[in-house]
Amino acid sequence: MELDEFVGRFTESVDFPEAVEITPDSVITELEYWDSLAQLGVIVMFELEFQMTITAEDIAGCSTIGDLYKLSFKSGN
Amino acid sequence: MARSQVSNVRFVGLSNCVPKSTIDNLQVSEADRPMRERLVRNIGIRYRRKCRDGMIFSDLAEFCARDLMAKIGWAPETVDALIMVTQSGEYVIPSTSIILQDRLGLPKTTLAFDINLGCSGYPYGLYTVGRMIGDNGIKRAIVIIGDQSASEGAADQGRDILFGDACSATALEYDPTAPEMYFEGFSDGSGYKAIYVPDGGKRNPLNDKSTVPTMWPDGVVRTSTDVVLDGPAILNFSTSVAPLAVQSICEFAQVPLSEIDGVLLHQANKMINNTIRLKLKLPSEAVPESLYDYGNTSSTSIPITLSHRCADRLVQPGTKWVFCGFGIGLSWASLYMEAHGDVYCSPVLEV
Repeated sequence: MELDEFVGRFTESVDFPEAVEITPDSVITELEYWDSLAQLGVIVMFELEFQMTITAEDIAGCSTIGDLYKLSFKSGN
Repeated sequence: MARSQVSNVRFVGLSNCVPKSTIDNLQVSEADRPMRERLVRNIGIRYRRKCRDGMIFSDLAEFCARDLMAKIGWAPETVDALIMVTQSGEYVIPSTSIILQDRLGLPKTTLAFDINLGCSGYPYGLYTVGRMIGDNGIKRAIVIIGDQSASEGAADQGRDILFGDACSATALEYDPTAPEMYFEGFSDGSGYKAIYVPDGGKRNPLNDKSTVPTMWPDGVVRTSTDVVLDGPAILNFSTSVAPLAVQSICEFAQVPLSEIDGVLLHQANKMINNTIRLKLKLPSEAVPESLYDYGNTSSTSIPITLSHRCADRLVQPGTKWVFCGFGIGLSWASLYMEAHGDVYCSPVLEV
């Protein structure tokens, strides 16, 4: 999956209540509506898009959306 | 490995009930509405039922058991066993099923005990009781399942919108012509802190601080007598084990997943349940839901879904069913059964 597409899927999966500008350099925890529900959305996205089970700790270990994108390559996807 | 069959046992009928009192998760202030709509959209739960005015879980249990016995024509004196799967007993001790033996007018020759399980409880209840029935065993049993776990106005919003109160009663009977049931049960106690109540047991007895709200490391305000839910851990657990458990029980029963008339999953939340369904590559109509109307109803979410969505199909002889429960413990189980003979299935009754 290309980075642009990943950012799009991320935006869908967190389902923020209003549009928030998200780029590969966005710091995850600084996104205005980042919360526990958004975290669950990202876990589901990895499960379904990459057949990868990632934990809350895995997400916490990523600073930016770009870091999260790199995580998706860990299982060879 | 806990893989087992249940022979000569017929699923005779099922009654379900919920309290009349309804909570609408979207009834919040205008300012909170966008975030709440997002939560409802993703968790999939709009309405929940809650016991009020002194009503408790065992009142629901008594109602279901009476409806069931009346509809399937079982005289109370013919019931050999009354088993409850619940974490919402009337008292800390004794088992609530024993109190209900008397209240329901069942004879003193009825055996009764409670099983302490939550979301995995329906397959466990049917299996445990099914194995007690047989040529040399008991002949008629009622399995009561459910919990009173609805909350309202808790600081922990993620938990507060989740649970609904509900109860069911299932009748099982000795029948040498009944098709086999197949069961598998699993446990992983290493994950018990994903869903637990910290205080009030022997490990951490109730103390002055137990009911004081504090901010936990996960950023949620709760007391130590509230249920602690670790959302990401529950999501990881459920979406890992449930698809495998459904596939495994089909292999054991030697019935392809595509031939199952209904795969009934514990109704945890929409994100968990959709992920399990997509991993199993099943269309939504093969996996009925009751989350939107009743929420997560703990161990009775499978029976509630049967009554809410499948009552017309459950009464058709030969229909094939897989029930998969997963959650607190961590505990999970699956059961395969075929409808046989006249099956009674109530609508979701209101008390």
